[in-house]
Amino acid sequence: MEAQLQKEGIAQDAFTIVGMEYKIHTPKLEKPGKWSRLREKPVISMVILILIIGGCFCAELIMNHDPSGFYLEHINEAPGSEFYFGTDLMGRDIFSLIWNGGRASIMIGLLSAAIITVIGIVYGCISGVAGAGIDSAMMRFTEIAGSIPSILLVLLITGFFPGNNVLSLSFVIGITGWFNLARIVRSEVRQIRTQEYVLAAQGMGAPFWWIMLWHLIPNFVSAVMFAIISGISTSMTTEATLSFLGLGLPVEVVSWGSMLSLANRALLLNTWWVIVFPGAFLVVTLLCITNIGHQFRKEVNRRPGNL
Amino acid sequence: MFLLGGRQLLQDRKFEIGRRIIRHCVEFAAAMLILSIVVFYFSRLAPGDPLQSFYGEAVERMSAEQLTAARQRLGLDAPIWVQYVRWIQGISRGDFGLSLRYRMPAMDVIAPLIGNTLILGGTGYILVFLFSILLAMVCARFEDTWLDRIICKVGTITYYIPSFWLGIMLIMIFSVNLHWLPSSGAYDTGMSGDIGNRISHMILPLVVMIFSHLWYYTYLIRNKLLDEVRKDYVLLARSKGLGGSRILWKHCLRNVAPTIVNLMAISIPHVLSGTYVAEAVFDYAGIGSLGVESAKYHDYNLLMLVVMITGILVILSSMAAQMINEMIDPRMRLSEVNGWKHSYRRKA
Repeated sequence: MEAQLQKEGIAQDAFTIVGMEYKIHTPKLEKPGKWSRLREKPVISMVILILIIGGCFCAELIMNHDPSGFYLEHINEAPGSEFYFGTDLMGRDIFSLIWNGGRASIMIGLLSAAIITVIGIVYGCISGVAGAGIDSAMMRFTEIAGSIPSILLVLLITGFFPGNNVLSLSFVIGITGWFNLARIVRSEVRQIRTQEYVLAAQGMGAPFWWIMLWHLIPNFVSAVMFAIISGISTSMTTEATLSFLGLGLPVEVVSWGSMLSLANRALLLNTWWVIVFPGAFLVVTLLCITNIGHQFRKEVNRRPGNL
Repeated sequence: MFLLGGRQLLQDRKFEIGRRIIRHCVEFAAAMLILSIVVFYFSRLAPGDPLQSFYGEAVERMSAEQLTAARQRLGLDAPIWVQYVRWIQGISRGDFGLSLRYRMPAMDVIAPLIGNTLILGGTGYILVFLFSILLAMVCARFEDTWLDRIICKVGTITYYIPSFWLGIMLIMIFSVNLHWLPSSGAYDTGMSGDIGNRISHMILPLVVMIFSHLWYYTYLIRNKLLDEVRKDYVLLARSKGLGGSRILWKHCLRNVAPTIVNLMAISIPHVLSGTYVAEAVFDYAGIGSLGVESAKYHDYNLLMLVVMITGILVILSSMAAQMINEMIDPRMRLSEVNGWKHSYRRKA
């Protein structure tokens, strides 16, 4: 280059070369830090929920009285330094009962939600894949069953079990709560069942359960996640309602709902702590679960409104 | 020629509506039949001795022969399907069986209570939708402002408070401590005709019903309205100089109305379920509290009747909603006729 310039008799500094210093601009990749990633998540709900669940399952460490003990000299005592949340009309310590009874409530919520999920997904998948006749018959069934008020259905089936325990109650709640989920799953499956990968799997002779497990479920699971999680909170509410009405867990099996079944007598005695504390724990747990569930909801991107 | 075609269409439509009503009735009958069979089997298979609730303590003092005789008299010894056929035969004669607990015809126990439930449920139903439409309008008008956000947050919280617990809390605050409102019953004894007394008994159950259902429907209607607000005719109305609230009331609400009516039709079992819980919490004399009680005492005939009446209420009202929907939305009518016309042509 220089030799050529000299040969043609041009001074070396006659030209300035533009852009010698040019560098490709690479913006520094910023990985979102731990905190900014956490900020999008419902941290407060998660912390409270973990505290409550952890407290319930390590109840022995927290409670300061025997939950099955009757402190007969301290009946209906208001909250104080010895009995943090007071005692009920049988002289049981409510603070210890709450941590102990949370187990049953949470277990019922999880178990029923599991039953709802399994039945709802399998039923929805079958209905979604099946032909028009079977599909409409199956959906008709869920419509008819769903048109009976859920509380009556549960009442009918609870009569089936002589003494209710955690398992039978979860079964009852689970078996009456899956209609809605099945409908959502079915409409999702309808959309993806003609996709090429499903057809390919069918062509290779995959059985129904394989397609369901490996092709259908992974594709709609995010769409039904909210329904599944809110199934937990609905089941916990149903359990509490039933136990309160005297049709769920008996008073001896401690859960938040069965503690509230003493509410009617507590009203007569005006002992507010018997009613407020178990209910407050239930409500806080439900709200936390819902808040976490909302995280799985699809965000609708909306353009600004015309108003 | 054109006129003739129109008349033909009108006739087709009348024919079509008649066919649809018949189809609805057949569906209704089938649904009731299936419902009754399922309920009957479930209630008969359930454990718990119905004799216990009929005779109470006396059962323990009865001899074996007396027990079998009692079973025979009450028709409890036959196989379940025979009992079912007998029950159906009874219904055709207007006999709905004996309430085992009250020892009188089940219909006589329920009949006076149906009115109470309908008053409570109907008022609650209307109020829930009235408030949820209003709230949804407010949310849509002030979308994404602090007002909207606060309503959304508070709404979600109220929706997840168990309704029975809210009921107890309200009783504790307003009847036990403040003595403002009665805590239970549908009316004080001997005051069934006093409207003021009835209303004061209905306030707390209504508050519970509204709180537990309001947000769910508000949220659905709000989302629908937000979609509507993004349509082009709103922009046109805006550019003509109409105010936001006016567009929302006069145009958007009218366009969303069919969806709301549909929603109201689907929601009936949900609201009725809430009514039953509210009745049970407040000991309001209605079918709901009766149903809970009869489930506790294994009173089959009564429970059956409660479920059947509920089923009839639900199915009838959803059919009514469908018809209203067709009346208020001309688009639905047109598409229906056109759809039918197409299928007719294809056949011909």
